[in-house]
Amino acid sequence: MNWSLFFGELVSGLTLGSIYALIALGYTMVYGILKLLNFAHGDVYMVGAFIGFFILQWLGGPLTPSVTPWLAVAIMFAVAMLGCGALGVGIERFAYRPLRDAPRIAPLISALGVSIFLQNSALLLWGPQFRDYDTFDLVGVKSYHIGQNFFISNIQILTISVSVGLTIVLALLVSRTRTGKAMRATSFDRDAAEMMGISIDRVISFTFFLGSALAAAGGIMFGLVFGQIFSLMGFTAGLKGFTAAVVGGIGSIPGAVLGGFLIGLTEAFATGYLPGGSVYANLYVFALLIVMFLIRPTGLLGSPVIQKV
Amino acid sequence: MKKVVTAAALAAVLAVLATAAWGSTKGSNRSATAATADSALVKCGKTRSIGLLAPFTGPAASIGINQVHWANFYKSTYNRTHKKKIRFVNEDTMLGSANGTAEAVKGAQAVGSNARVLGVVGPAGSNEVKATTGALKGAGLGWVSGSATNTTITLDGTRTGFFFRTVPPDSSQSKSVAAYITGTLKIKRVYIIDDQEAYSTGLADEVQTLLRAKGVTVGRDGVSQQQSDFSSIINKIPRNTQLVYLPWQLPPKGQAFGRQMKSLGRSGTKLMGSDGLFDPLFAGLGNNVYDSFFPLNPADKRVAAFKRIHHATELFGAPSYVAAQVVTGAIDRACKNGTASRAEVRAQIKRTRIAAKASLLGLPVAFDRHGDMIKKPFGIYHSVKGVFVRVA
Repeated sequence: MNWSLFFGELVSGLTLGSIYALIALGYTMVYGILKLLNFAHGDVYMVGAFIGFFILQWLGGPLTPSVTPWLAVAIMFAVAMLGCGALGVGIERFAYRPLRDAPRIAPLISALGVSIFLQNSALLLWGPQFRDYDTFDLVGVKSYHIGQNFFISNIQILTISVSVGLTIVLALLVSRTRTGKAMRATSFDRDAAEMMGISIDRVISFTFFLGSALAAAGGIMFGLVFGQIFSLMGFTAGLKGFTAAVVGGIGSIPGAVLGGFLIGLTEAFATGYLPGGSVYANLYVFALLIVMFLIRPTGLLGSPVIQKV
Repeated sequence: MKKVVTAAALAAVLAVLATAAWGSTKGSNRSATAATADSALVKCGKTRSIGLLAPFTGPAASIGINQVHWANFYKSTYNRTHKKKIRFVNEDTMLGSANGTAEAVKGAQAVGSNARVLGVVGPAGSNEVKATTGALKGAGLGWVSGSATNTTITLDGTRTGFFFRTVPPDSSQSKSVAAYITGTLKIKRVYIIDDQEAYSTGLADEVQTLLRAKGVTVGRDGVSQQQSDFSSIINKIPRNTQLVYLPWQLPPKGQAFGRQMKSLGRSGTKLMGSDGLFDPLFAGLGNNVYDSFFPLNPADKRVAAFKRIHHATELFGAPSYVAAQVVTGAIDRACKNGTASRAEVRAQIKRTRIAAKASLLGLPVAFDRHGDMIKKPFGIYHSVKGVFVRVA
């Protein structure tokens, strides 16, 4: 057994999984409340990565940050999460709310339209070239040597920790707060919740805000861990996040996190161990999705929906 | 109801017959149209039109825009110093996009049907060259690519006399690379990672074959051009690997790979890139980085002027400057009497002679009977303090 390969792939998988989990949370929350697949979510993640990049530049860049590196990272997260949260609310207000009572295909097409709009706007505004976070030059970023051949960087540790931390905060918010209760009620029965005095519009806007803010955090993590971002990065990441949400059971918050880690680990271990894995990692990921549908159509933690006929 | 069904069936049969009849008429007209396009004389006028097929958008836009910038740099330089002007008819090929080479074919059809276009610069990818052959050749256009390096596209005879390129083929590059790895660096264990594009896999295959023939142990893998996470594949590279060869097209990806290698404790392994990675981003990874590139002189004043105007460091698109130079020169010569046909322009492309001094590539540009440059040497470069220095 090559333990250095095993632990290397484990850390890679957990790091990737953390990012997918944050994207999947946005998909699952919006689906839980609106039964809408928000295909623009991956592009909100891309916008978050770009906001983080521009904030880092504004703070003097990775080599000469005007504040301490960790404060710079915290500011990047805060501004990008707020910015993308607002973007998510805007998307919901102008692209989805007018179609709330339309046939279900209409908001789906609208979501695809918003996705392409965001992608092309990014291409127009920021160009097609790769933007470099230069994380490896960021003062304070280092790798730890564990055992003979195993390395983990403090950015990887930060990514996994932030992802787990944000998930816990989200879970507490949904289960322990009044707003969370309103979200659960809206998800369960929107009409009944409205009759009980819950402002549905506000709950839906808040859900979009939360989901988009988490996607922004994922985008910054991607930039910090892998160094580079570009305007078309949202499509594949969004697809993986969506797959994670479905594998975990769409609508389930713990399921989205579990699905994210499962997809990340599948991708990493497929690359490391399976024939042609690095080229066909996505094949294994989506094969997992198909197998999951065959064995458990509702996903790992999803529950079957009983429909009144 | 029965009547309606019968009427519908009859209408369908008539529609099929009409379509077939129209198709056969169109087919017989096609060869006539092609012949007309080939020999039709166009009044050259004050502004001559050249088709520019490039990935303006899509996954490969980061390198495509560099090529477009270089081609436009030639255009602006030329237009400043000549009474007759050139203009590009731009067509986006979206190289690497989900619908494959369809956009390139659409673009080729568009420039082919534009009677004012006398020659074409591009397209970028070898697969695109193959896919657009029907449309461009059918329209009688000569086309010059600054980046399609697959060895067979000039040798298979399909587009001889129509297609030319201002980059040496993979076979030339692979020989230089393999010779340097085995002869100078005395490397015994190499790991090759391609990026799944035709350019990359073709070059990787050739280097792999040459290295194995010389007794080198070669591991092989691939990544997607869209991939940014290389940690999993780096973990997989055997620890005793002495050199990783990356025939990639995107310098930022090469830079990301090198940085992730370092963060995973693999800074001792040498890295070697191909012409696509000949860039300060890749050179900046440190002194264990090598690359292969045509003998372009980075100190050429045109390179300095380009960098000043476009704030870009990438030299990958420089052959597109030369491609534009070749097509423009051919049109100038064909237009001496005020009119030119596409066939005349093609003949003039074939007769191109650009002296080494005037050529940005640092070598004379002239084509052999296949459409390849007659002189096609590849230099090997070593990164010294973040700058590539020619060593072979």
